Amino acid sequence: MSAKMEQKEQRYIQRHSMQTRITHDIVAVACIWLTFSGLFVFIPALASAFPDFTRAMRVSHRIVGCILIITPIVSAILSPRGVGRFFKKYFTKWTPEDKEFTKKFVPYMLNARNVHMPDQDEVKSGQRFADGLMVVGVLLMAISGLVLWLGTSVWRVSGDTASVMRTIHDICFLILVIFVVAHVYLGAGIFEPYKGTGKLMWGNGQVSESNALYHWGFWARKELEKGDKVLLKDENDQVVARGKEAVDLGNTYIEEKLKQKAPLKQE
Amino acid sequence: MADLAIYYDSSKCTGCKGCMVACKTWNNLPSPIELNSQPYSGTYQNPVDLNENTRTIITYKERKRENAYGIDWAFGSRRCMHCTDAACVKVCPSGCLYHDDNGFVVMDIDKCIGCQYCRAACPFDVPRHTGVNVRGADIKIDKCDACATRVAHGMKPACVTTCQPNALDFGPREEMLTRAHERVEWLHKRGYADARVYGETEAGGTHVIMVLKYDISQYDLPENPNTNKGAASNVMKPLTALAAVGIVGGLGITYARAHGYHRDHMAYDTKTHDVVDMDKDEVERHIDKEAGER
Repeated sequence: MSAKMEQKEQRYIQRHSMQTRITHDIVAVACIWLTFSGLFVFIPALASAFPDFTRAMRVSHRIVGCILIITPIVSAILSPRGVGRFFKKYFTKWTPEDKEFTKKFVPYMLNARNVHMPDQDEVKSGQRFADGLMVVGVLLMAISGLVLWLGTSVWRVSGDTASVMRTIHDICFLILVIFVVAHVYLGAGIFEPYKGTGKLMWGNGQVSESNALYHWGFWARKELEKGDKVLLKDENDQVVARGKEAVDLGNTYIEEKLKQKAPLKQE
Repeated sequence: MADLAIYYDSSKCTGCKGCMVACKTWNNLPSPIELNSQPYSGTYQNPVDLNENTRTIITYKERKRENAYGIDWAFGSRRCMHCTDAACVKVCPSGCLYHDDNGFVVMDIDKCIGCQYCRAACPFDVPRHTGVNVRGADIKIDKCDACATRVAHGMKPACVTTCQPNALDFGPREEMLTRAHERVEWLHKRGYADARVYGETEAGGTHVIMVLKYDISQYDLPENPNTNKGAASNVMKPLTALAAVGIVGGLGITYARAHGYHRDHMAYDTKTHDVVDMDKDEVERHIDKEAGER
């Protein structure tokens, strides 16, 4: 272990646990499969062109639907405290920065180069809104889906009930199309200003100091000050230092870098 | 080709169930033969309702005979009404259900995907499905198709050919309607004031024309069949497509506008509370902890 931070090294913050990532990823893949299989019934041309394949898709829709429902339940049972933390993060008071973020969101998406967002807590107001809608949407999807499935096989619901459930299923699908597509684009982290967010859920769950400061300023600084979730890693993704040590090495590096520049300024 | 229709005159029906037997025979629909395997309906109506092996039933409504000893029956026919404005055709996602040239609602059974949307949408609660189970791979619709294969060969539907009191008939829809109106007029003269024609305008005009001898409450028929129960979905589909295009387009603009945008590498010194731009080696801002900044 080097006593000094190298130029290629960077501090990271552990943002999501392994369990959170696995839960998210199973649900995400399930949602993609449910969309794909659901489209075969939703789009008449597909059902009509491939009726046998559509029947197979409908069976898979049920199996994957069960996975979608069971995964978060199992995860919640494994970590009840995580559920508590989740609700605490999502049901929080709106700060002035949250309001500013919401107001600036569309101009920001259209002109991220020049429109800059205020610092945010662990979950941005926009995230809270979008993720919240997705959670509610999936919940309603699950309920209406279960009624449509079991209500036409195990027991018999009335035609009116089935029609209402199908409309709920359709409306939630529309909401989810909008928010999931946006969520996937932003979360995949391939394009600016969201570059680098992909690893949060699909990799090691870590976010670089720079990205953390950019997206969740309040949270990033709080975590860096606390230090317990901070890692110092080299360019090969190898952990060089952890915790307080990683924080201190980073601080020294920043200060020295600034000092090197200082004499130039005076000239 | 002019539309055809099945004619049913409830005032001539004797409730013999010959039509039910003929239907099962022609369409190869089995009946349960175990002792007492069917639930009891409380009347001679049996089976209680349409089911996956029963495409038509005669309904029995019993009531006390006025001013006389005994009971009266109101016989009715429950079957696919072959609506012009057919809710099932509108919601069928696979094109399994469609109107044939005669105006009857027929099905291409290979195309049925077992979604049962037709059942939910039908104002007459007619479509039934075979192979219903939790797995759901083998569900197929079963309902009256007006014996399409017989009609194609110039024959009448099986039920019609067997009707002994001529309560059932088959022919051009206009003729059937004229006959129904004549019969209702005759019934009115005989004192059946509630007698009426059913199917002339209901659900866009049905291809089963009925003469109802008594008030409509004596028959399992809705006064105003709602053929739009599943219509919301047909609005949601284009809306969802629009939303998908909108969001992809919006994100496309985001992508185009942010293309090539480079964010400077930032770092935070937890000792000095400075946020530093590491590419420019400049302190970008100081977090004034004493002033309560976070």
